[in-house]
Amino acid sequence: MIHAESLTKRYGSKTAVDAVDFTVQPGRVTGFLGPNGAGKSTTMRMIVGLDRPSHGSVTVNGKQYREHKAPLREVGVLLDAKAIHTGRSAYNHLLAMAATHSIPASRVKEVIELTGLESVARKRVGGFSLGMGQRLGIAAALLGDPATLILDEPVNGLDPEGVQWVRHLVRNLAAEGRTILLSSHLMSEMAVTADHLIVLGRGKVIADAPVAELIGAANQNTVRVRTPYAAELSALFQRADVTVTGTGIDQLVISGITAAEIGNQAARAGIALHELTPISASLEEAYMALTQNDVEYRTGGTPGDPAAEHAAAMTASDLQGSVR
Amino acid sequence: MTTTAPASVHVFVPTGSGLSFPGLLRSEWIKLRSVRSTIWSYATVVLISFGMALLMSVSIDFGGSPVPADAQATLLAQAATFGVFFGQLVVAVLGVLAISGEYSTGMIRSSLTAAPRRLPMLAAKAVVLFVCTFVVGLVTTVGSYLVAASVLGGKGVSASLTDPDLLLPLLGGALYLALVAVFALGVGAMLRSSAGGIAAALGILLLLPIMLAMIPAEWAAESLPYLISTAGLAMFGLEQFGPSEFEAWQNLLIVLGWVAVSLAGAAVLLRRRDA
Repeated sequence: MIHAESLTKRYGSKTAVDAVDFTVQPGRVTGFLGPNGAGKSTTMRMIVGLDRPSHGSVTVNGKQYREHKAPLREVGVLLDAKAIHTGRSAYNHLLAMAATHSIPASRVKEVIELTGLESVARKRVGGFSLGMGQRLGIAAALLGDPATLILDEPVNGLDPEGVQWVRHLVRNLAAEGRTILLSSHLMSEMAVTADHLIVLGRGKVIADAPVAELIGAANQNTVRVRTPYAAELSALFQRADVTVTGTGIDQLVISGITAAEIGNQAARAGIALHELTPISASLEEAYMALTQNDVEYRTGGTPGDPAAEHAAAMTASDLQGSVR
Repeated sequence: MTTTAPASVHVFVPTGSGLSFPGLLRSEWIKLRSVRSTIWSYATVVLISFGMALLMSVSIDFGGSPVPADAQATLLAQAATFGVFFGQLVVAVLGVLAISGEYSTGMIRSSLTAAPRRLPMLAAKAVVLFVCTFVVGLVTTVGSYLVAASVLGGKGVSASLTDPDLLLPLLGGALYLALVAVFALGVGAMLRSSAGGIAAALGILLLLPIMLAMIPAEWAAESLPYLISTAGLAMFGLEQFGPSEFEAWQNLLIVLGWVAVSLAGAAVLLRRRDA
Protein backbone atom coordinates (compact mmCIF):
# COMPACT_ATOMS: atom_id res chain seq x y z
CA MET A 1 0.00 0.00 0.00
CA ILE A 2 1.26 3.45 -0.92
CA HIS A 3 -0.15 6.38 0.97
CA ALA A 4 0.52 10.03 0.09
CA GLU A 5 -0.52 12.90 2.32
CA SER A 6 -0.49 16.47 1.04
CA LEU A 7 2.58 15.45 -0.93
CA THR A 8 4.15 18.53 -2.51
CA LYS A 9 7.20 19.14 -4.64
CA ARG A 10 8.30 22.61 -5.68
CA TYR A 11 11.19 23.41 -7.98
CA GLY A 12 11.84 27.09 -7.38
CA SER A 13 8.59 28.89 -8.11
CA LYS A 14 7.15 25.97 -10.06
CA THR A 15 4.98 23.49 -8.19
CA ALA A 16 5.33 20.07 -9.82
CA VAL A 17 3.20 18.19 -7.30
CA ASP A 18 0.66 20.19 -5.36
CA ALA A 19 -0.61 18.80 -2.03
CA VAL A 20 -1.55 15.45 -3.44
CA ASP A 21 -3.43 12.85 -1.36
CA PHE A 22 -3.98 9.31 -2.56
CA THR A 23 -3.80 5.70 -1.51
CA VAL A 24 -2.72 2.86 -3.76
CA GLN A 25 -4.29 -0.37 -2.52
CA PRO A 26 -2.80 -3.85 -2.77
CA GLY A 27 -4.42 -6.58 -4.84
CA ARG A 28 -5.23 -4.48 -7.86
CA VAL A 29 -3.52 -2.58 -10.63
CA THR A 30 -3.65 1.17 -10.14
CA GLY A 31 -3.04 3.31 -13.19
CA PHE A 32 -1.34 6.64 -12.87
CA LEU A 33 -2.50 8.93 -15.64
CA GLY A 34 -1.84 12.49 -16.60
CA PRO A 35 -0.49 14.69 -19.35
CA ASN A 36 3.22 15.42 -19.63
CA GLY A 37 4.39 17.54 -16.73
CA ALA A 38 1.43 16.56 -14.55
CA GLY A 39 3.80 15.32 -11.84
CA LYS A 40 3.53 11.54 -12.25
CA SER A 41 7.26 10.83 -12.44
CA THR A 42 8.07 13.32 -9.68
CA THR A 43 5.52 11.61 -7.44
CA MET A 44 7.01 8.20 -8.20
CA ARG A 45 10.50 9.50 -7.47
CA MET A 46 9.32 10.87 -4.13
CA ILE A 47 7.79 7.50 -3.22
CA VAL A 48 11.21 5.83 -3.42
CA GLY A 49 13.05 8.73 -1.81
CA LEU A 50 14.98 9.98 -4.84
CA ASP A 51 13.34 13.38 -4.55
CA ARG A 52 12.64 14.93 -1.19
CA PRO A 53 9.09 16.28 -0.81
CA SER A 54 8.88 20.05 -0.21
CA HIS A 55 5.95 19.32 2.04
CA GLY A 56 3.83 16.38 3.11
CA SER A 57 4.84 12.75 3.08
CA VAL A 58 4.46 9.47 1.30
CA THR A 59 4.76 6.03 2.88
CA VAL A 60 4.99 2.51 1.56
CA ASN A 61 3.36 -0.08 3.82
CA GLY A 62 3.28 2.37 6.68
CA LYS A 63 6.89 3.53 6.54
CA GLN A 64 8.91 5.96 4.52
CA TYR A 65 10.77 4.03 1.82
CA ARG A 66 14.16 4.75 3.34
CA GLU A 67 13.10 3.37 6.72
CA HIS A 68 12.62 -0.15 5.35
CA LYS A 69 15.28 -2.74 6.17
CA ALA A 70 14.98 -4.36 2.75
CA PRO A 71 13.92 -1.57 0.35
CA LEU A 72 14.24 -3.69 -2.81
CA ARG A 73 11.99 -6.37 -1.33
CA GLU A 74 9.45 -3.72 -0.33
CA VAL A 75 9.34 -1.80 -3.62
CA GLY A 76 10.53 -2.67 -7.10
CA VAL A 77 10.74 0.38 -9.29
CA LEU A 78 11.21 1.11 -12.96
CA LEU A 79 11.65 4.86 -13.24
CA ASP A 80 12.97 5.15 -16.75
CA ALA A 81 14.98 2.94 -19.06
CA LYS A 82 18.06 5.03 -18.48
CA ALA A 83 18.84 4.21 -14.86
CA ILE A 84 21.54 1.75 -15.83
CA HIS A 85 25.28 2.18 -16.43
CA THR A 86 25.77 1.78 -20.17
CA GLY A 87 29.24 0.29 -19.82
CA ARG A 88 28.12 -2.69 -17.78
CA SER A 89 26.48 -5.92 -18.96
CA ALA A 90 22.86 -6.57 -18.07
CA TYR A 91 23.89 -9.55 -15.97
CA ASN A 92 26.45 -7.56 -13.98
CA HIS A 93 23.99 -4.71 -13.47
CA LEU A 94 21.45 -7.08 -11.97
CA LEU A 95 24.15 -8.89 -9.99
CA ALA A 96 25.35 -5.59 -8.46
CA MET A 97 21.78 -4.58 -7.59
CA ALA A 98 21.09 -8.03 -6.11
CA ALA A 99 24.27 -8.00 -4.03
CA THR A 100 23.09 -5.02 -1.98
CA HIS A 101 20.32 -7.18 -0.49
CA SER A 102 22.27 -10.47 -0.61
CA ILE A 103 19.85 -11.72 -3.26
CA PRO A 104 21.39 -14.89 -4.74
CA ALA A 105 22.67 -15.08 -8.32
CA SER A 106 20.02 -17.72 -9.00
CA ARG A 107 17.36 -15.00 -8.66
CA VAL A 108 19.28 -12.86 -11.16
CA LYS A 109 19.10 -15.74 -13.66
CA GLU A 110 15.40 -16.10 -12.87
CA VAL A 111 14.50 -12.50 -13.69
CA ILE A 112 16.66 -12.62 -16.81
CA GLU A 113 14.66 -15.62 -18.04
CA LEU A 114 11.39 -14.07 -16.92
CA THR A 115 12.06 -10.95 -18.99
CA GLY A 116 13.47 -12.85 -21.97
CA LEU A 117 16.93 -11.31 -21.83
CA GLU A 118 18.97 -14.56 -21.92
CA SER A 119 20.53 -13.87 -25.30
CA VAL A 120 21.74 -10.35 -24.44
CA ALA A 121 22.45 -10.65 -20.71
CA ARG A 122 26.21 -10.67 -21.21
CA LYS A 123 26.21 -7.72 -23.60
CA ARG A 124 26.86 -4.16 -22.52
CA VAL A 125 23.70 -2.18 -21.85
CA GLY A 126 24.87 0.72 -24.03
CA GLY A 127 23.95 -1.25 -27.14
CA PHE A 128 20.44 -2.14 -25.97
CA SER A 129 17.32 -1.07 -27.86
CA LEU A 130 14.66 0.86 -25.95
CA GLY A 131 12.60 -2.30 -25.61
CA MET A 132 15.49 -4.35 -24.21
CA GLY A 133 16.31 -1.50 -21.83
CA GLN A 134 12.71 -1.60 -20.59
CA ARG A 135 12.88 -5.35 -20.08
CA LEU A 136 16.09 -4.95 -18.11
CA GLY A 137 14.50 -2.20 -16.01
CA ILE A 138 11.55 -4.48 -15.28
CA ALA A 139 13.95 -7.33 -14.44
CA ALA A 140 15.70 -5.04 -11.94
CA ALA A 141 12.35 -4.03 -10.44
CA LEU A 142 11.38 -7.68 -9.95
CA LEU A 143 14.75 -8.66 -8.46
CA GLY A 144 13.67 -8.43 -4.82
CA ASP A 145 10.31 -10.17 -5.44
CA PRO A 146 8.81 -6.94 -4.08
CA ALA A 147 5.46 -6.41 -2.40
CA THR A 148 4.97 -3.16 -4.30
CA LEU A 149 5.80 -2.53 -7.93
CA ILE A 150 6.09 0.97 -9.37
CA LEU A 151 6.48 1.11 -13.13
CA ASP A 152 6.81 4.39 -15.01
CA GLU A 153 5.70 3.88 -18.62
CA PRO A 154 6.70 0.21 -18.67
CA VAL A 155 5.34 -0.52 -22.14
CA ASN A 156 7.24 2.36 -23.72
CA GLY A 157 9.23 0.94 -26.61
CA LEU A 158 7.94 -2.62 -26.20
CA ASP A 159 6.62 -4.60 -29.15
CA PRO A 160 2.95 -5.73 -29.04
CA GLU A 161 3.98 -9.08 -27.60
CA GLY A 162 5.97 -7.30 -24.89
CA VAL A 163 3.02 -5.04 -24.09
CA GLN A 164 0.83 -8.10 -23.58
CA TRP A 165 3.48 -9.73 -21.46
CA VAL A 166 3.67 -6.68 -19.15
CA ARG A 167 -0.13 -6.61 -18.93
CA HIS A 168 -0.30 -10.25 -17.84
CA LEU A 169 2.64 -9.84 -15.52
CA VAL A 170 1.18 -6.93 -13.56
CA ARG A 171 -2.26 -8.52 -13.42
CA ASN A 172 -0.78 -11.73 -12.05
CA LEU A 173 1.35 -9.86 -9.53
CA ALA A 174 -1.66 -7.87 -8.36
CA ALA A 175 -3.63 -11.10 -8.00
CA GLU A 176 -0.92 -12.29 -5.60
CA GLY A 177 -1.84 -9.41 -3.30
CA ARG A 178 0.86 -7.00 -4.37
CA THR A 179 0.45 -3.27 -4.82
CA ILE A 180 0.93 -2.18 -8.43
CA LEU A 181 1.27 1.44 -9.54
CA LEU A 182 1.63 1.82 -13.26
CA SER A 183 1.91 4.97 -15.30
CA SER A 184 1.18 5.07 -18.97
CA HIS A 185 0.16 7.62 -21.52
CA LEU A 186 -1.62 4.87 -23.48
CA MET A 187 -5.22 5.11 -22.31
CA SER A 188 -6.25 2.03 -24.27
CA GLU A 189 -3.57 0.13 -22.38
CA MET A 190 -4.86 1.38 -19.04
CA ALA A 191 -8.42 0.40 -19.92
CA VAL A 192 -7.42 -3.26 -20.20
CA THR A 193 -4.67 -3.35 -17.57
CA ALA A 194 -5.74 -1.16 -14.67
CA ASP A 195 -8.55 -1.67 -12.17
CA HIS A 196 -8.29 1.74 -10.63
CA LEU A 197 -7.10 5.09 -11.91
CA ILE A 198 -5.48 8.09 -10.31
CA VAL A 199 -5.50 10.99 -12.73
CA LEU A 200 -3.05 13.84 -12.20
CA GLY A 201 -3.26 17.24 -13.86
CA ARG A 202 -0.90 20.10 -13.14
CA GLY A 203 0.30 18.41 -9.99
CA LYS A 204 -3.14 17.78 -8.53
CA VAL A 205 -5.27 14.65 -8.28
CA ILE A 206 -8.25 15.33 -10.53
CA ALA A 207 -9.77 11.86 -10.33
CA ASP A 208 -9.28 8.80 -8.17
CA ALA A 209 -11.76 6.07 -9.06
CA PRO A 210 -12.23 2.59 -10.52
CA VAL A 211 -11.75 2.51 -14.28
CA ALA A 212 -15.33 1.41 -14.96
CA GLU A 213 -16.71 4.21 -12.84
CA LEU A 214 -14.65 6.80 -14.68
CA ILE A 215 -15.94 5.61 -18.02
CA GLY A 216 -19.45 5.31 -16.61
CA ALA A 217 -19.39 8.85 -15.29
CA ALA A 218 -18.41 10.12 -18.68
CA ASN A 219 -21.10 7.99 -20.33
CA GLN A 220 -23.98 9.17 -18.19
CA ASN A 221 -23.42 12.77 -18.78
CA THR A 222 -23.10 13.13 -22.51
CA VAL A 223 -26.19 12.58 -24.64
CA ARG A 224 -26.86 13.04 -28.34
CA VAL A 225 -30.35 14.37 -29.09
CA ARG A 226 -32.09 14.73 -32.43
CA THR A 227 -35.20 16.88 -32.60
CA PRO A 228 -36.79 19.24 -35.10
CA TYR A 229 -37.19 21.67 -32.18
CA ALA A 230 -33.51 22.02 -31.36
CA ALA A 231 -33.76 25.69 -30.41
CA GLU A 232 -36.70 25.10 -28.06
CA LEU A 233 -34.99 22.14 -26.44
CA SER A 234 -31.71 23.96 -25.86
CA ALA A 235 -33.68 26.83 -24.30
CA LEU A 236 -34.86 24.33 -21.68
CA PHE A 237 -31.31 23.70 -20.52
CA GLN A 238 -29.96 27.20 -20.06
CA ARG A 239 -28.39 26.18 -16.77
CA ALA A 240 -24.89 26.66 -15.50
CA ASP A 241 -24.31 22.94 -14.97
CA VAL A 242 -25.44 21.85 -18.43
CA THR A 243 -23.66 22.37 -21.72
CA VAL A 244 -25.57 22.26 -24.97
CA THR A 245 -23.71 22.12 -28.26
CA GLY A 246 -25.37 22.17 -31.65
CA THR A 247 -23.84 19.60 -33.96
CA GLY A 248 -26.30 19.76 -36.86
CA ILE A 249 -29.56 21.42 -37.91
CA ASP A 250 -31.63 19.08 -35.78
CA GLN A 251 -28.94 17.63 -33.59
CA LEU A 252 -27.59 18.59 -30.15
CA VAL A 253 -25.02 17.16 -27.81
CA ILE A 254 -25.98 17.80 -24.22
CA SER A 255 -23.66 17.11 -21.35
CA GLY A 256 -24.08 17.48 -17.61
CA ILE A 257 -27.45 15.80 -17.46
CA THR A 258 -28.69 12.24 -17.95
CA ALA A 259 -30.63 11.00 -20.99
CA ALA A 260 -33.61 10.19 -18.75
CA GLU A 261 -33.73 13.73 -17.43
CA ILE A 262 -33.62 15.18 -20.94
CA GLY A 263 -36.44 12.88 -22.05
CA ASN A 264 -38.61 13.80 -19.06
CA GLN A 265 -38.15 17.52 -19.48
CA ALA A 266 -38.75 17.34 -23.23
CA ALA A 267 -41.97 15.42 -22.65
CA ARG A 268 -43.13 17.96 -20.09
CA ALA A 269 -42.46 20.76 -22.57
CA GLY A 270 -44.16 18.83 -25.37
CA ILE A 271 -41.04 18.63 -27.52
CA ALA A 272 -40.80 15.60 -29.79
CA LEU A 273 -37.47 13.80 -29.76
CA HIS A 274 -36.30 11.71 -32.71
CA GLU A 275 -33.24 10.37 -31.00
CA LEU A 276 -31.93 10.27 -27.45
CA THR A 277 -28.60 8.46 -27.22
CA PRO A 278 -26.15 8.43 -24.32
CA ILE A 279 -22.76 8.73 -25.95
CA SER A 280 -20.54 5.91 -24.85
CA ALA A 281 -17.30 7.55 -23.88
CA SER A 282 -14.09 5.61 -24.05
CA LEU A 283 -11.60 5.88 -21.23
CA GLU A 284 -9.59 8.03 -23.56
CA GLU A 285 -12.45 10.51 -23.89
CA ALA A 286 -13.07 10.49 -20.18
CA TYR A 287 -9.41 11.20 -19.67
CA MET A 288 -9.32 13.97 -22.24
CA ALA A 289 -12.31 15.60 -20.62
CA LEU A 290 -10.68 15.38 -17.22
CA THR A 291 -7.33 16.75 -18.22
CA GLN A 292 -8.28 19.18 -20.92
CA ASN A 293 -7.86 22.07 -18.56
CA ASP A 294 -4.80 20.68 -16.91
CA VAL A 295 -2.52 20.19 -19.84
CA GLU A 296 0.66 22.10 -19.34
CA TYR A 297 2.01 21.89 -22.84
CA ARG A 298 -0.97 22.39 -25.12
CA THR A 299 -0.54 21.85 -28.83
CA GLY A 300 -2.29 24.39 -31.03
CA GLY A 301 -6.02 24.11 -30.27
CA THR A 302 -8.18 27.10 -29.56
CA PRO A 303 -6.67 29.01 -26.70
CA GLY A 304 -8.80 31.84 -25.43
CA ASP A 305 -12.08 30.30 -26.53
CA PRO A 306 -14.03 30.88 -23.34
CA ALA A 307 -16.95 28.67 -24.36
CA ALA A 308 -14.74 25.68 -25.03
CA GLU A 309 -12.74 26.24 -21.87
CA HIS A 310 -15.93 26.46 -19.89
CA ALA A 311 -17.28 23.30 -21.44
CA ALA A 312 -14.12 21.42 -20.62
CA ALA A 313 -14.11 22.71 -17.08
CA MET A 314 -17.71 21.69 -16.61
CA THR A 315 -17.15 18.20 -17.92
CA ALA A 316 -14.12 17.77 -15.74
CA SER A 317 -15.80 18.96 -12.60
CA ASP A 318 -18.84 16.82 -13.32
CA LEU A 319 -16.66 13.76 -13.57
CA GLN A 320 -14.84 14.71 -10.44
CA GLY A 321 -18.03 15.38 -8.55
CA SER A 322 -19.46 12.07 -9.50
CA VAL A 323 -16.48 9.91 -8.76
CA ARG A 324 -14.85 11.37 -5.67
CA MET B 1 -11.00 -6.79 -15.42
CA THR B 2 -12.31 -6.42 -11.93
CA THR B 3 -13.88 -3.12 -11.16
CA THR B 4 -13.29 -3.07 -7.45
CA ALA B 5 -10.75 -4.79 -5.27
CA PRO B 6 -12.20 -7.68 -3.33
CA ALA B 7 -13.23 -6.71 0.18
CA SER B 8 -10.53 -8.85 1.78
CA VAL B 9 -7.49 -9.23 -0.43
CA HIS B 10 -4.63 -11.25 0.91
CA VAL B 11 -1.67 -8.92 1.00
CA PHE B 12 1.68 -10.14 -0.32
CA VAL B 13 4.33 -10.10 2.39
CA PRO B 14 7.92 -9.86 1.21
CA THR B 15 10.50 -12.26 2.60
CA GLY B 16 14.24 -12.75 2.33
CA SER B 17 17.50 -11.06 3.13
CA GLY B 18 17.71 -7.31 3.59
CA LEU B 19 20.04 -4.46 2.80
CA SER B 20 23.41 -4.71 4.56
CA PHE B 21 26.79 -2.98 4.44
CA PRO B 22 28.66 -6.16 3.41
CA GLY B 23 26.06 -6.46 0.64
CA LEU B 24 26.80 -2.90 -0.45
CA LEU B 25 30.54 -3.64 -0.43
CA ARG B 26 29.96 -6.66 -2.67
CA SER B 27 27.73 -4.59 -4.94
CA GLU B 28 30.32 -1.83 -5.29
CA TRP B 29 33.02 -4.41 -5.97
CA ILE B 30 30.91 -5.91 -8.78
CA LYS B 31 30.27 -2.41 -10.14
CA LEU B 32 33.95 -1.46 -10.07
CA ARG B 33 35.22 -4.62 -11.74
CA SER B 34 32.50 -4.77 -14.38
CA VAL B 35 33.30 -1.58 -16.28
CA ARG B 36 36.16 -1.33 -18.71
CA SER B 37 37.47 2.02 -17.46
CA THR B 38 38.57 0.35 -14.21
CA ILE B 39 40.62 -2.32 -15.97
CA TRP B 40 42.18 0.22 -18.33
CA SER B 41 42.98 2.68 -15.56
CA TYR B 42 44.65 0.14 -13.30
CA ALA B 43 46.59 -1.41 -16.19
CA THR B 44 47.80 2.06 -17.16
CA VAL B 45 48.95 2.83 -13.61
CA VAL B 46 50.97 -0.39 -13.42
CA LEU B 47 52.49 -0.19 -16.88
CA ILE B 48 53.46 3.49 -16.67
CA SER B 49 55.19 2.83 -13.36
CA PHE B 50 57.06 -0.20 -14.69
CA GLY B 51 58.13 1.85 -17.68
CA MET B 52 59.29 4.75 -15.53
CA ALA B 53 61.25 2.46 -13.23
CA LEU B 54 62.93 0.85 -16.23
CA LEU B 55 63.71 4.19 -17.87
CA MET B 56 65.12 5.67 -14.69
CA SER B 57 67.28 2.67 -13.81
CA VAL B 58 68.64 2.29 -17.32
CA SER B 59 69.47 5.97 -17.77
CA ILE B 60 71.11 6.42 -14.37
CA ASP B 61 74.88 6.61 -14.66
CA PHE B 62 77.04 6.60 -11.54
CA GLY B 63 80.23 7.45 -13.49
CA GLY B 64 82.03 4.40 -12.16
CA SER B 65 81.96 5.50 -8.52
CA PRO B 66 80.05 3.10 -6.22
CA VAL B 67 76.78 4.22 -4.59
CA PRO B 68 77.11 4.47 -0.79
CA ALA B 69 75.42 1.53 0.97
CA ASP B 70 73.03 3.70 2.98
CA ALA B 71 71.76 5.50 -0.17
CA GLN B 72 71.03 2.36 -2.17
CA ALA B 73 67.62 1.61 -0.67
CA THR B 74 66.47 5.22 -1.17
CA LEU B 75 67.65 5.20 -4.76
CA LEU B 76 65.71 2.01 -5.47
CA ALA B 77 62.65 3.43 -3.72
CA GLN B 78 62.80 6.55 -5.89
CA ALA B 79 62.99 4.50 -9.07
CA ALA B 80 60.12 2.29 -7.89
CA THR B 81 57.79 5.15 -6.93
CA PHE B 82 58.59 7.61 -9.71
CA GLY B 83 55.60 6.33 -11.71
CA VAL B 84 53.22 7.21 -8.88
CA PHE B 85 53.39 10.84 -10.02
CA PHE B 86 51.64 9.80 -13.25
CA GLY B 87 49.61 7.10 -11.56
CA GLN B 88 47.94 9.65 -9.29
CA LEU B 89 46.43 11.37 -12.32
CA VAL B 90 45.01 8.10 -13.65
CA VAL B 91 43.50 6.96 -10.34
CA ALA B 92 42.04 10.45 -9.89
CA VAL B 93 40.17 10.03 -13.17
CA LEU B 94 39.06 6.57 -12.06
CA GLY B 95 37.84 7.90 -8.71
CA VAL B 96 35.78 10.62 -10.37
CA LEU B 97 34.32 8.20 -12.92
CA ALA B 98 33.34 5.72 -10.20
CA ILE B 99 30.53 8.10 -9.22
CA SER B 100 30.15 10.55 -12.11
CA GLY B 101 29.62 7.60 -14.44
CA GLU B 102 26.57 6.73 -12.35
CA TYR B 103 25.21 10.25 -12.65
CA SER B 104 25.81 10.55 -16.40
CA THR B 105 24.11 7.21 -17.14
CA GLY B 106 21.31 7.48 -14.58
CA MET B 107 22.65 4.45 -12.70
CA ILE B 108 22.73 6.56 -9.53
CA ARG B 109 18.92 6.29 -9.33
CA SER B 110 19.17 2.50 -9.29
CA SER B 111 21.94 2.65 -6.70
CA LEU B 112 20.01 5.00 -4.44
CA THR B 113 16.75 3.08 -4.63
CA ALA B 114 18.72 0.02 -3.50
CA ALA B 115 20.37 2.05 -0.72
CA PRO B 116 17.92 4.86 0.05
CA ARG B 117 19.89 6.06 3.06
CA ARG B 118 22.56 6.97 0.53
CA LEU B 119 25.59 7.44 2.79
CA PRO B 120 26.28 3.71 3.20
CA MET B 121 26.45 3.52 -0.61
CA LEU B 122 29.07 6.30 -0.70
CA ALA B 123 30.98 4.68 2.16
CA ALA B 124 30.96 1.28 0.44
CA LYS B 125 32.16 2.88 -2.78
CA ALA B 126 34.99 4.63 -0.94
CA VAL B 127 36.08 1.47 0.89
CA VAL B 128 36.07 -0.68 -2.27
CA LEU B 129 37.88 1.98 -4.28
CA PHE B 130 40.46 2.43 -1.50
CA VAL B 131 41.18 -1.28 -1.08
CA CYS B 132 41.33 -2.03 -4.81
CA THR B 133 43.56 0.95 -5.55
CA PHE B 134 45.82 0.14 -2.61
CA VAL B 135 46.29 -3.42 -3.85
CA VAL B 136 46.95 -2.20 -7.39
CA GLY B 137 49.27 0.42 -5.90
CA LEU B 138 51.26 -2.27 -4.08
CA VAL B 139 51.52 -4.33 -7.26
CA THR B 140 52.68 -1.15 -8.97
CA THR B 141 55.36 -0.07 -6.51
CA VAL B 142 56.65 -3.55 -5.60
CA GLY B 143 56.64 -4.58 -9.27
CA SER B 144 58.45 -1.38 -10.20
CA TYR B 145 61.00 -2.11 -7.50
CA LEU B 146 61.61 -5.54 -9.02
CA VAL B 147 62.03 -3.94 -12.46
CA ALA B 148 64.43 -1.32 -11.09
CA ALA B 149 66.33 -3.86 -8.97
CA SER B 150 66.90 -6.13 -11.94
CA VAL B 151 68.57 -3.30 -13.83
CA LEU B 152 70.30 -1.49 -10.96
CA GLY B 153 71.59 -4.78 -9.51
CA GLY B 154 73.98 -4.87 -12.44
CA LYS B 155 75.20 -1.39 -11.44
CA GLY B 156 75.95 -2.46 -7.89
CA VAL B 157 72.78 -1.09 -6.29
CA SER B 158 70.62 -3.41 -4.22
CA ALA B 159 68.43 -3.41 -1.15
CA SER B 160 66.25 -5.87 0.71
CA LEU B 161 62.45 -5.40 0.73
CA THR B 162 62.63 -5.53 4.51
CA ASP B 163 64.74 -2.38 4.59
CA PRO B 164 62.42 0.37 5.95
CA ASP B 165 64.06 2.93 3.64
CA LEU B 166 62.71 0.88 0.76
CA LEU B 167 59.57 -0.72 2.17
CA LEU B 168 58.00 2.40 3.65
CA PRO B 169 58.17 4.43 0.41
CA LEU B 170 56.70 1.46 -1.51
CA LEU B 171 53.81 1.26 0.97
CA GLY B 172 53.50 5.06 1.03
CA GLY B 173 53.23 5.23 -2.76
CA ALA B 174 50.46 2.64 -2.79
CA LEU B 175 48.66 4.35 0.09
CA TYR B 176 48.86 7.73 -1.63
CA LEU B 177 47.35 6.31 -4.84
CA ALA B 178 44.47 4.80 -2.87
CA LEU B 179 43.82 8.06 -1.02
CA VAL B 180 43.90 10.13 -4.22
CA ALA B 181 41.27 7.80 -5.74
CA VAL B 182 38.99 8.32 -2.73
CA PHE B 183 39.63 12.08 -2.76
CA ALA B 184 38.62 12.18 -6.43
CA LEU B 185 35.52 10.09 -5.64
CA GLY B 186 34.42 12.84 -3.29
CA VAL B 187 35.10 15.50 -5.92
CA GLY B 188 33.12 13.51 -8.51
CA ALA B 189 30.23 13.06 -6.08
CA MET B 190 30.11 16.79 -5.38
CA LEU B 191 30.26 17.88 -9.03
CA ARG B 192 28.24 14.93 -10.47
CA SER B 193 29.83 15.38 -13.87
CA SER B 194 32.69 13.44 -15.42
CA ALA B 195 34.22 16.39 -17.26
CA GLY B 196 33.86 18.79 -14.34
CA GLY B 197 35.03 16.25 -11.78
CA ILE B 198 38.11 15.21 -13.75
CA ALA B 199 39.03 18.83 -14.45
CA ALA B 200 38.66 19.75 -10.78
CA ALA B 201 40.55 16.73 -9.45
CA LEU B 202 43.43 17.08 -11.89
CA GLY B 203 43.46 20.81 -11.35
CA ILE B 204 43.92 20.35 -7.62
CA LEU B 205 46.55 17.63 -8.03
CA LEU B 206 48.53 19.07 -10.89
CA LEU B 207 47.79 22.72 -11.61
CA LEU B 208 47.31 24.09 -8.10
CA PRO B 209 50.92 23.35 -6.98
CA ILE B 210 52.33 24.83 -10.19
CA MET B 211 50.19 27.95 -9.86
CA LEU B 212 51.12 28.45 -6.22
CA ALA B 213 54.79 27.95 -7.02
CA MET B 214 54.56 30.68 -9.65
CA ILE B 215 52.87 33.25 -7.43
CA PRO B 216 55.64 35.42 -5.95
CA ALA B 217 53.98 35.84 -2.57
CA GLU B 218 54.88 34.49 0.81
CA TRP B 219 51.47 32.96 1.48
CA ALA B 220 51.68 31.01 -1.75
CA ALA B 221 55.03 29.52 -0.85
CA GLU B 222 53.84 28.80 2.67
CA SER B 223 50.69 27.02 1.60
CA LEU B 224 52.47 24.90 -1.00
CA PRO B 225 53.44 22.05 1.40
CA TYR B 226 49.84 21.73 2.50
CA LEU B 227 48.54 20.76 -0.94
CA ILE B 228 47.38 17.18 -1.33
CA SER B 229 49.83 16.30 -4.08
CA THR B 230 52.81 18.10 -2.55
CA ALA B 231 52.28 16.43 0.81
CA GLY B 232 51.29 13.10 -0.72
CA LEU B 233 54.26 12.77 -3.02
CA ALA B 234 56.61 13.87 -0.23
CA MET B 235 55.20 11.01 1.84
CA PHE B 236 57.41 8.61 -0.11
CA GLY B 237 60.25 10.95 -1.01
CA LEU B 238 59.04 12.48 -4.25
CA GLU B 239 59.66 16.12 -3.43
CA GLN B 240 58.61 18.43 -6.22
CA PHE B 241 59.47 21.73 -4.65
CA GLY B 242 62.51 21.09 -2.51
CA PRO B 243 62.80 19.01 0.64
CA SER B 244 59.59 18.61 2.61
CA GLU B 245 59.48 20.31 5.98
CA PHE B 246 57.24 17.56 7.36
CA GLU B 247 57.72 14.00 8.51
CA ALA B 248 56.05 11.29 6.44
CA TRP B 249 53.26 10.85 9.00
CA GLN B 250 52.56 14.60 8.98
CA ASN B 251 52.28 14.53 5.22
CA LEU B 252 49.92 11.59 5.54
CA LEU B 253 47.75 13.61 7.92
CA ILE B 254 47.59 16.45 5.39
CA VAL B 255 46.47 14.05 2.65
CA LEU B 256 43.92 12.50 5.00
CA GLY B 257 42.61 15.99 5.72
CA TRP B 258 41.98 16.60 2.01
CA VAL B 259 40.27 13.23 1.67
CA ALA B 260 38.09 13.91 4.72
CA VAL B 261 36.99 17.32 3.44
CA SER B 262 36.20 15.89 0.01
CA LEU B 263 34.19 12.97 1.42
CA ALA B 264 32.38 15.16 3.94
CA GLY B 265 31.35 17.59 1.18
CA ALA B 266 30.19 14.68 -0.94
CA ALA B 267 28.22 13.18 1.96
CA VAL B 268 26.44 16.42 2.80
CA LEU B 269 25.47 17.09 -0.80
CA LEU B 270 24.48 13.48 -1.49
CA ARG B 271 22.15 13.55 1.49
CA ARG B 272 20.65 16.90 0.64
CA ARG B 273 20.20 16.87 -3.12
CA ASP B 274 17.55 15.13 -5.19
CA ALA B 275 19.03 12.33 -7.24
